[in-house]
Amino acid sequence: MKRRKVLLIPFGELKTFFRRLFVAILFLIAFFGILLSNVDSLVVSAVDKVIIEVTGPAMQIVELPARAIHRIYTYFYDISHIYADNQQLRQENKQMMILQNKVRTLEVENQLLSRLLNYTPPPEATFVSAQIIAESGDNFTHLLLVYIGDSEVEKGQIVMSNESVIGRVDTVGKRYAKVILITDINSKIPVIIERTRTRGILSGNNTDRPQLIFTRSNADIEIGDVIVTSGVGGMFPAGLPIGLVNKVNNDGSVEVEPIADISRLEYVRIIDYGLSQDSEFLNDFAEGLDNAQ
Amino acid sequence: MRSSLKEQIGFFLRCRIPIFFSLLMVLLFFMPIHSVQINYFRPAIGLICVYYWRLNRGSLFSWGSAFCIGFIIDVYSSSPFGVNILLLMLVNGTTGWLARYFQAASFNVRWLIFSLSALFYMLIKWLFLMSYFWDYLPLAEITMGYFSTVMFYPLIATINAWVATRFLPPENIDEQ
Repeated sequence: MKRRKVLLIPFGELKTFFRRLFVAILFLIAFFGILLSNVDSLVVSAVDKVIIEVTGPAMQIVELPARAIHRIYTYFYDISHIYADNQQLRQENKQMMILQNKVRTLEVENQLLSRLLNYTPPPEATFVSAQIIAESGDNFTHLLLVYIGDSEVEKGQIVMSNESVIGRVDTVGKRYAKVILITDINSKIPVIIERTRTRGILSGNNTDRPQLIFTRSNADIEIGDVIVTSGVGGMFPAGLPIGLVNKVNNDGSVEVEPIADISRLEYVRIIDYGLSQDSEFLNDFAEGLDNAQ
Repeated sequence: MRSSLKEQIGFFLRCRIPIFFSLLMVLLFFMPIHSVQINYFRPAIGLICVYYWRLNRGSLFSWGSAFCIGFIIDVYSSSPFGVNILLLMLVNGTTGWLARYFQAASFNVRWLIFSLSALFYMLIKWLFLMSYFWDYLPLAEITMGYFSTVMFYPLIATINAWVATRFLPPENIDEQ
């Protein structure tokens, strides 16, 4: 008579084995996630989009009381500063009137010269307004989650406040998009100093003062110089304001203060200059710079 | 005595409260503060929740729970995907080990242990991210984040303790 083989592993041990296997798999997922995020993996990106879409509505609900508190605070803050603001606006208005006349003259002159040179103007920019619904939750990253609704937004598009560039679109879901701010360590933007036309890269360092790197060592840089996009890399158009030189250190490093006051923003503008298709080039460019560094 | 299906589902869901409540807290702390300066004082809420639940109700807080919280934090961050998962799983593992010695300790001792562990975890993350980006990450902001995390611990612990006493099944009939 044949004896039946019996599985002699106790159920408890089997359960422990599978539990350990499960933990090992979780560690492996995290480990491979880190490896894949370095190569801009489609899998990580797809998972990112799905989770943002799922948690986005919850974030919108959570954000409602915060927005209400912020509005009340802003209301009283504005009232307390109303006189000073009024004086400043009167002063600015006088300067604007003078500038307006100059602009009209320059505009006519520009049109005449463009016709003479047969100049093709760049495509008109279109923009989408998006509400900020979440900020990064720790000190190691600087990003925003914005609600874009059904608008068409693409990775790499530029994100601006009313005044200046604040970042770029990193991940786009169906209704939400993740925006990397210019202060984030992942942000590298080709810029130029408006006054001297000195080129450089504005590199985020996770502080509120990004640094200007790769400038000439003998470059003429002064505090208060305006930093604008250079247009190198093809993703951002040239001439968009970003920040002001805040400090020039003895070691040659330059700290830049962003023009936009991100703390008062509730909405941002995602601008399409029709250039985002070339965004891969900028990524390669930024990676190349990192490698060179 | 065999309980009804409804009771079993209710019990199952009550055992999942630590993870769901932790996720809610994490999402709550992502809300916009509209202040760059205050943003640096944002506590590492995931770290507090994983430490608290693992230390106090370890049987209801599994490796999978730590993974889920780390996963959500990674999605809402620009750091390499997986860093927060690894960190919170490390917190889960080490706190599980610490729980053997400090489960019966007073609140102040637990807080002290948390402040030392949080320093260790944040330093690990800081070193890891610096080596990943091959760039120096300023310590000032991270130090502020560390102190706010330590300062927020009593508040989050009190809320968690209230949730535990109000909604969770008694400790002697934990799921596992």
